Amino acid sequence: MNKRILSVGMAALAVAGLTLGATGCASTKKLSIAFVMGAESDPFFQAMKVGATDEAAAEGVDLIWQGDPSAYDVATQVPIVDNVIAQKPDGLVLIPTDPNGLQASSDKAVAAGIAVANVDTHTADTTDAVITITGDNADGGAKAADAIAGAIGYKAGKSYQVVVGLTSATATTNVGRLDGFKAQVAAKYPGIKIVDVAYSASNPQTANSNVNNWLTKYPNLSGIFAIDGTNASGAAAALQAKNLVGKIALVGYDAYPANVELVKTGVFTALIAQDPAAEARLAIKTLVDYIKNGTKPSNHDVVIPNVTIDKNTSASDLKKYTYVAAK
Amino acid sequence: MPNKVIYEVRNVSKNYGAVVALDGASLKLHAGEVVGLVGDNGAGKSTLVKVLSGAHSPDGGEILLEGVERTWHNPKQALEAGIETLYQDSGLAPHLTVSQNVFLGREKFTKGIFGKLGFLAKKQMEAEAEADLQAVGIAFPSSNRPVSQLSGGQRQAVAIGRAVSWARKVLILDEPTNHLGARQAGEVLEVIKRAKKKGLGVIFISHTLPHVLEVTDRIVVLRLGKIVRDAPTSEYTADTLIGTITGTYGSDE
Amino acid sequence: MGNSIQDSQAPSLLDKVKTSFRNQSVLLVATLVILGVVFQIASEGIFLTTGTLATVLNDWGSYILLAVAQTFVVITGGIDLSVGSTVSLSSVVAGWVLVQGLHLDSSISGDAAIPYVLLAVLVALLVGLTVGALNAFLINILKIVPFIATLATMGAMSGMAIIISGGMPLQGPNDFNLGIPYTVFGVQLPISTTVLTVLIITVIAGLYLHKTRFGLYTYALGSNPFATRAAGISPARHITKVYMLSGGLAGLAGAYAYIRLGAGSPSNGAGMELYAIAATVIGGVSLMGGVGRIIGIALGTLVLFTVQSGLLMVKVVQVSPSLKQVIVAILIAAAVAVQTLQKNGRK
Repeated sequence: MNKRILSVGMAALAVAGLTLGATGCASTKKLSIAFVMGAESDPFFQAMKVGATDEAAAEGVDLIWQGDPSAYDVATQVPIVDNVIAQKPDGLVLIPTDPNGLQASSDKAVAAGIAVANVDTHTADTTDAVITITGDNADGGAKAADAIAGAIGYKAGKSYQVVVGLTSATATTNVGRLDGFKAQVAAKYPGIKIVDVAYSASNPQTANSNVNNWLTKYPNLSGIFAIDGTNASGAAAALQAKNLVGKIALVGYDAYPANVELVKTGVFTALIAQDPAAEARLAIKTLVDYIKNGTKPSNHDVVIPNVTIDKNTSASDLKKYTYVAAK
Repeated sequence: MPNKVIYEVRNVSKNYGAVVALDGASLKLHAGEVVGLVGDNGAGKSTLVKVLSGAHSPDGGEILLEGVERTWHNPKQALEAGIETLYQDSGLAPHLTVSQNVFLGREKFTKGIFGKLGFLAKKQMEAEAEADLQAVGIAFPSSNRPVSQLSGGQRQAVAIGRAVSWARKVLILDEPTNHLGARQAGEVLEVIKRAKKKGLGVIFISHTLPHVLEVTDRIVVLRLGKIVRDAPTSEYTADTLIGTITGTYGSDE
Repeated sequence: MGNSIQDSQAPSLLDKVKTSFRNQSVLLVATLVILGVVFQIASEGIFLTTGTLATVLNDWGSYILLAVAQTFVVITGGIDLSVGSTVSLSSVVAGWVLVQGLHLDSSISGDAAIPYVLLAVLVALLVGLTVGALNAFLINILKIVPFIATLATMGAMSGMAIIISGGMPLQGPNDFNLGIPYTVFGVQLPISTTVLTVLIITVIAGLYLHKTRFGLYTYALGSNPFATRAAGISPARHITKVYMLSGGLAGLAGAYAYIRLGAGSPSNGAGMELYAIAATVIGGVSLMGGVGRIIGIALGTLVLFTVQSGLLMVKVVQVSPSLKQVIVAILIAAAVAVQTLQKNGRK
């Protein structure tokens, strides 16, 4: 019921906006920006929501936050996007769950006069998008390699054993990070050998079991790259339980508050963090600029690099990058 | 009949929606008497059994046990009052042993703290089940064998033995000789005669009319939910019994 | 006298051998021995070591309570798909009470954390019992079949776990020593306090299933619900007890996950219901109801995680993680096939 009232209200607002826009008084009317993300349950999108909400409030625009509660899935996302387009927002920030699957919906939005921005991932053809902003998983993998090499005191000519905990063979973030990690190792640290990989199937207990077995199988193990939050949790528990904190380098991914605490206590050598809030802020700011003033961004394809969080990271940066659950 | 009336229904009715399953049926059962209940499919036999065993409540009419009016809300109340029912084809749990089936719902616990925690006196129940079944004339392989490993005849023997050994007042047997060979059916009829000697009132429901004529003292014929004839077995012949069931032979009315 | 209803065959030696092979536990022990030898060779001697066995038993501890829970439910002829999400939710609520409710964090560790860990166990247990009661309500009162009822609860509980945790692990006080294997007179054993506790719970559950009236009614209900009701037993009341037992055990598995990881996370139970069902099938529980023994379940779960760990420890060839999934699937299919053969053999 509320939703219907809201959508009728939105439509009325949008119509009013268009009418006023035609008479040149758009700045007095409140803009609406729709934000369709991947999966609400993912802390990554929770952190993104925080950035989006802050920026929308700062710009004085209405934010329509939408997306599937738990499934990162093209099949559930397409109808959500189509519904949002029907509400005629002024702008649409889209995190396409599939580059081809969301192309038609994106085109439909552009045809309806809605300014579109792609965040985190992008549709196959981004020419009509005002901006595309992506995180760089390969860069994150490379940074993880640097962090492990630093922690084990890498010296050329010596050999080191490293394992990688994955979630599955197909998770796109896993693939990008692993490729970046391997490329960096091959280029800069030829002495590091990736001796094994295993899947957690999204369960930290399984990730924990994998690391425990590796610790038996590779008594001389130098480092572990835990490629996402699930693997990071499982690996951290294994090292703590076996009293191997500080003896084996552990680089994790995603700045969950719990894991950031473990950087401070030395369980994690380093965490590689994305900055989802920054991606969301930039997207909204760019769209509002474009809608109000017609200004296009100087750079159409923006890549927001990952950051390395370790013991030397300043308190203010820690605060900035730690994921916060949206209320 | 010399013995007292042990179980009685007066004018009971039961409708399932628009279908009248029982229409003012009245029936008396004496201690030490075997009453045959016969009728075509849909005549109301199984509905009457369910009313007598407490599985269904009648829409109207009275149920009296030893002259006292009773209302059954579930089968357990009838069981506890001394009325045992053997349902057609579904009396036993195949995965449980003979003794577990005999004692199902009436288990015995071990003495002391473990008994209070629900631990069962397995050996005691096995021995008692064996003794009880032997007492009613049922022989069976072993009381710790799962029922699923018994033959059809053995299963039926256990089911009847269970009902007979627990019955204190009334025994209701719904098609107990179904699917049995001649010799096994003969054994079941012997068990019924022995239950009668014990002073139980027995209601015997069967399609096998020679069995009914052999073992009963009285036969009650149901047709379309009504009792159309209630007479001593000696007053029926095989032909008049069939005629009464199908409605081609003149009834009491 | 009617003693003609007798079975006449005396068991021959061949029958005895056949019978023992039809016994699921004998088969499973034989499987474990074979797997142990194969993995010991393939791992170049590191499989049968305390380190690997400790990991296998730690995994066993994570899943056995769910497998036991599933066993009770499946014997009644039902199924409980919500056990995995109950692990997630109960561990998250336990973490939430400690982190958000009492404002504690992971800096409390070792013996000082024990009282908080016990609180986490209690909270997780209560959450599990509540989910079980909800399942029983859906099945008994709303008359929804167990598969659909527990599928609905599964979705709802994992959603609740995400909402409460914000999708992130809640890291609270923990004593990791509880999960570390004991060392007795300088010899390291593969058993820790958590595994031992779970083992004791499993033994008690086994005694209850096989020796008490509660267990008897569980089998009776799955074997013949009509006969059970006719014997004066209330099926609804027993169903309620069984699903609450299942939920309670899943809650304890949530506490186990909390202690294992030092955190309540909404993904702590991800996919666990499928492994629990697989373990019960391997352990000889019939999904048709009425059949199953706890010893079989304990061994079946052990076989499943022996394979999981064993494949990772193999050194002579590289077993890719994807191939590992295929091998586990084949194992489950083989277990079902063996069951079917055994059943046909009996007829």
